[in-house]
Amino acid sequence: MSAASLLELRSIAKYFGNVTALEGVSTTVAAGDVTCVLGDNGAGKSTFIKILSGLHKASSGEYLIDGRPVSFESPREARACGIATVYQDLAMAPLMSVWRNFFLGAEPRKFGVMQSAYMRETARAEMAQMGIDVRDVDQPVGTLSGGERQSVAIARAVYFGARVLILDEPTSALGGRQSGVVLRYVRAAAERGLGVVFITHNPHHAYPVGDRFLVLNRGRSVGDFAKSELQRDELTKLMAGGAELEALEHELAARE
Amino acid sequence: MTDQQSAPERLTPADSSSAPPAERSDERIIHRGPMRRWLISPEIGALIGAVVVWLFLWGNGETFGTAGTTLNWLDVAAPYGIMATAVALLMIGGEFDLSAGVMTGASAMIIGLFSRFYTGSGVHIGLGIAAAFAAAIAIGWFNGYMVNRTGLPSFIITLASFFVMRGLMLVLSKRLAEKVYVDQIKDQRGAAGFGTWIAHEWILTEFPGRDPLFVALTILGGALITYGLLELSFSARARPSADGIAILAAGLVVGVGGFVGLLRSDGVAANFGFGLLTAFGALVAVLGLARVRWEPHKGERVRHRLESGTMFRAYVGVLGMALACVVHFPFDRNERRAVLSWIAPGIRPFVVGAAALIGLWLGLKTLLQSGRRGKTTKNVVGPVLMALYVALLLMTLTTSALQLATVQAVRAMAMILLGTGGVTMMLTARGRAAKYDQRWQVAFGLAAAGGLVAIGQVTRTDATAIRFRTVLPTGLVLIAAVLMVNTLLEFLMEKRTYGEPGADRRGRRLLVAGGLSIIAGAAVRLLYSNASPSRAAKLREAGLPVPQNVLRQTVLWWILVAALGAYVLAKTQWGNWIFAVGGNKDASRAVGVPADRVKIGLFMVVSLCGALSGTLIALRYGTVQADQGTGLEFEFIIAAVVGGCLMTGGYGSVVGASLGAAILAMSTTGVQTVIGWNGDGRYAFLGAVLLVAVLVNTYTRKKAQEAR
Repeated sequence: MSAASLLELRSIAKYFGNVTALEGVSTTVAAGDVTCVLGDNGAGKSTFIKILSGLHKASSGEYLIDGRPVSFESPREARACGIATVYQDLAMAPLMSVWRNFFLGAEPRKFGVMQSAYMRETARAEMAQMGIDVRDVDQPVGTLSGGERQSVAIARAVYFGARVLILDEPTSALGGRQSGVVLRYVRAAAERGLGVVFITHNPHHAYPVGDRFLVLNRGRSVGDFAKSELQRDELTKLMAGGAELEALEHELAARE
Repeated sequence: MTDQQSAPERLTPADSSSAPPAERSDERIIHRGPMRRWLISPEIGALIGAVVVWLFLWGNGETFGTAGTTLNWLDVAAPYGIMATAVALLMIGGEFDLSAGVMTGASAMIIGLFSRFYTGSGVHIGLGIAAAFAAAIAIGWFNGYMVNRTGLPSFIITLASFFVMRGLMLVLSKRLAEKVYVDQIKDQRGAAGFGTWIAHEWILTEFPGRDPLFVALTILGGALITYGLLELSFSARARPSADGIAILAAGLVVGVGGFVGLLRSDGVAANFGFGLLTAFGALVAVLGLARVRWEPHKGERVRHRLESGTMFRAYVGVLGMALACVVHFPFDRNERRAVLSWIAPGIRPFVVGAAALIGLWLGLKTLLQSGRRGKTTKNVVGPVLMALYVALLLMTLTTSALQLATVQAVRAMAMILLGTGGVTMMLTARGRAAKYDQRWQVAFGLAAAGGLVAIGQVTRTDATAIRFRTVLPTGLVLIAAVLMVNTLLEFLMEKRTYGEPGADRRGRRLLVAGGLSIIAGAAVRLLYSNASPSRAAKLREAGLPVPQNVLRQTVLWWILVAALGAYVLAKTQWGNWIFAVGGNKDASRAVGVPADRVKIGLFMVVSLCGALSGTLIALRYGTVQADQGTGLEFEFIIAAVVGGCLMTGGYGSVVGASLGAAILAMSTTGVQTVIGWNGDGRYAFLGAVLLVAVLVNTYTRKKAQEAR
C-alpha cells in the first residue's frame, strides 16, 4: 500500500497553545483512490486540511509525499508539490468572472501580460471536459449555482496538475441532487489518476465514493480503514454521534 | 442606445427556429449583444454622468466646450484624476486611504521645507523631491503594514496617518518658515530645471490641419466602431454579396458628396440639408456593408399581437415629439424676463420650493423602487424628467441674471422635456414590439428617427443661440441616422446568438481602435490653438492679441497614470490579484495570492501618486499651505465611487474613476463660470451627483449580477 501512496501521514499532531487540535492521526492517499475523512464538528477536520494544504505546520509527526518527508512553509509550496485544496467557501471572488477565478494565483503570462484569450478558452475547455457547461466564462462566479461553483473549483485544481485533491465538505451546502453531481466529479477526478481527500461529516456521501476512511473524533483518530474492512453501518456508527445516538436511544427506551 | 437598455430580454420564436450549430448553442443562454454587455460595465454611470454634466454646462454657458475652457477643466481634473486612479485601485483592493488628501499637500511641503531649510540654507530641489517620494514609500508601507497586521479597518489606520501628517506639517512649517505656508519654492536651486521636465507648460500654436485632421480621425473612429459592432452582432457569410457592394458604393458616393457639400456650403440651412444627405449616405453605406459580409435575415417573421400598452406608448411618443416641435409658438423667443415674476417675491421661494420637493420626491421614489428587489422599474424616464423639472424650478428661484431662469430658457426646457420624453416613449414601444412583431419595431424606430430630425429642424430655425442652431440639429440628425441604421439592421440581418471567439476578439479590438481614433481626433482639436488660422491672421492684422491656450503637463501625467492603472488592472496578474484581494481576501490567499503584499503595494501606489501630485503643486505654484490637501481625500473617494467602484471592494474601474474626476472638475469650473455661484457651491452639486451616480451604479451592478 505504502509503495503506491502519493501522500502519507504518520501520527500527525497539532497543538494550539494548550489545546490539542489533532493527535496521533495517520493515513495514506493512493493515486486513483478516494480517501474520506469523516468527523463531526470539532473533530479536527479543518486542522487536518490546513496541515495537508500547507497553511499550518504539524507540531509533531511525519508528512510524506512520494515517500519523502516534507514541511511546507505556505500553501504555494504545497501547490507546487501537486496538492490542491478546494475549500468549503470555494476560494473564489464572487464578483470576478469565471475565467479570472479559474486562473487566480497562477495566471499564465507572456512578457508580464496576462494571456486573457488563452485563459478564457482554456477555462471553457477544461470545464467542458469535466462535463460542465459554463454558459459564459465572462459571467461573475457569484451568478453560478453552488454545484457549478464547486465544479469550477474542482476543474481548476485538476487543470493545475494537482496530484492530490483535497475537498473540504464539498457537499455540505448542497441539495440532494447537486450533491450527487459533485460526488460524480469526485469519482471522475479519482479516475483521472488523482489521489482525492474527501472531507465530510456525512457517511452516506462518503461510503459510495470512498476507497479508504479515516474517522476523527475530538482530534484523535478513531480508525483508518480500507473499504473492504468496513460496512456502511459500521461507518455510520463510528462517526461521532453514532454511539451517542445509540446511547440516547437506550436512554429513551429505558425511560418508557 | 436606450432601447437596448429598456428592452426586456429577447427570446423570440425566431431565435429558436433559426438555431445556430448545436455545439455552440445552449438554449438557456440569451446571447448578450455588444451594447448590453457594455451597458453593464462599472463605468457606465460615470460616463452618462459626465455627458449629462457636459451637455448641461455647454447648453448654458457661452464659452463652455471651446478648446480653451476644455483645457481649463482638464487642468483642474488632472490632480483629481491622478489620485482617483490610485484610490480606485485601492478601493477595488478592498481598502480606503483617508490620508490620500493630506499626502498631496504634505509631499509638496516636504519639497518646500527641504529645498529651503535643510542644512540651514536649503538644498537642490531634486533632493526635496527624492525626500518626498521616500516619505511616500514609507507612509504607504506603514499604512499597508498596519492594516495587515492589526486587521483594523483602514479608516482608522489611515485617519491616524492623516492627523499625524497634518499636525507635523503645521508644526514644521511654523518652526522653520515661521508661518503656515512655505513660499519661494520656485526660486530654489533646480526648480526651473525640474519644472521644465515635470511640470511643463506648452503654449499651443495654430495649425492649419487641425480641423481636417479632427474630422478625419472622428470619421475613421466612427467607421471602425460601426464595423466592430457589426462584427460582434452578426455572423459572417461564406461569400461576399455583389448587391451589397453596389449598395455600399452608392451609399459612399452619396455620403461623400453630402460631406463635401457640407464643407463647402455656408449657412445653417445648407448645412442642415447637406448634413441630412451625409447621414442618409452613411446609413445606406452601413446597410450595404452589412449585406456584403454578414448573413441577412432568415426564416419566418414573428407576427404576434402587440403587448397591451405598447400602442399607448407609441401614441404618447408621437404626441410628445409633435408637441416638442410646436411648443415654442406661444413663447416670445427673445423674452429674457424672469419666470414667475408675477408671483410676489416673498411668496415665490415657498411656491417653487414646495413644487421642487414634490418633484424630487416623485423622482427619488421611482429611482429607489428600481433598486429594490423584485421591483425593477425599467422606466428611467421618470427620474430624468423629475431631475430636469426640479433643476428648472430651483433655477427660477435665482434672479433673471441667470439665463436659466428666463422665459426663453423655459421654452428650451419644455422642448427638451417633451422631445426626450417623446423619443424615449417611442423607443420603449420599439423595444416592446421587438418581442412580438418586428414590423412594428421598424415602424416605431423609424418614427423616433423622424421625430428627431423634425425636432432638429425646429431647433435650427427657432433657436436663438448660434451653437444650438448648428451643433444641436447636426447632432440630432446623426443620432437619428444611428437609430435608423440600428432599426433596419435588426430587421434585415440575422442576429448572432452565440459567441464566436475570433469574431468577438476582432470586434472588441475594432471598438477599442475606433474609440482611440476618436480620442486622438479630440486631442488634435485640443492641442492646437483655439483660434482658427484665418481668424488668427485677421486678429494679427488688426494688431490684436491672438488668444493662446495652455496645455499643462499635469494633464499628461493624469493620462499616463490612468492608462497605466487601467492596463495593470485589466491585463496583468497584479490586476487579477487586486480584484481577488478586494473580493475575497481569504480565498485569494488560499490559492496563493500574496494578499498582504498586494495591499501594501496598493497603499504605496496611493502615497506615491500623492507624492507626484505634491511635486506638481510645488513646482507649479511655488507656494504650499501647511494644511494643503486636507479634505481632498473625500473628493478622491467620490470620484472613485462615482466611477463605479464598490465600497466593499472587488469591483470597479480605473477609467470610471477618471471620468468621476472629470465630473468633479467640470462641476467645479462650471458652477463658477456658468452658474455663477462661488466655488464652494460645487459641494451642493457634488453631493447630488454622488447620490445619483451611486443609485445608477447600484442598478447596473444588479443587472450585471443577474444570472446570464
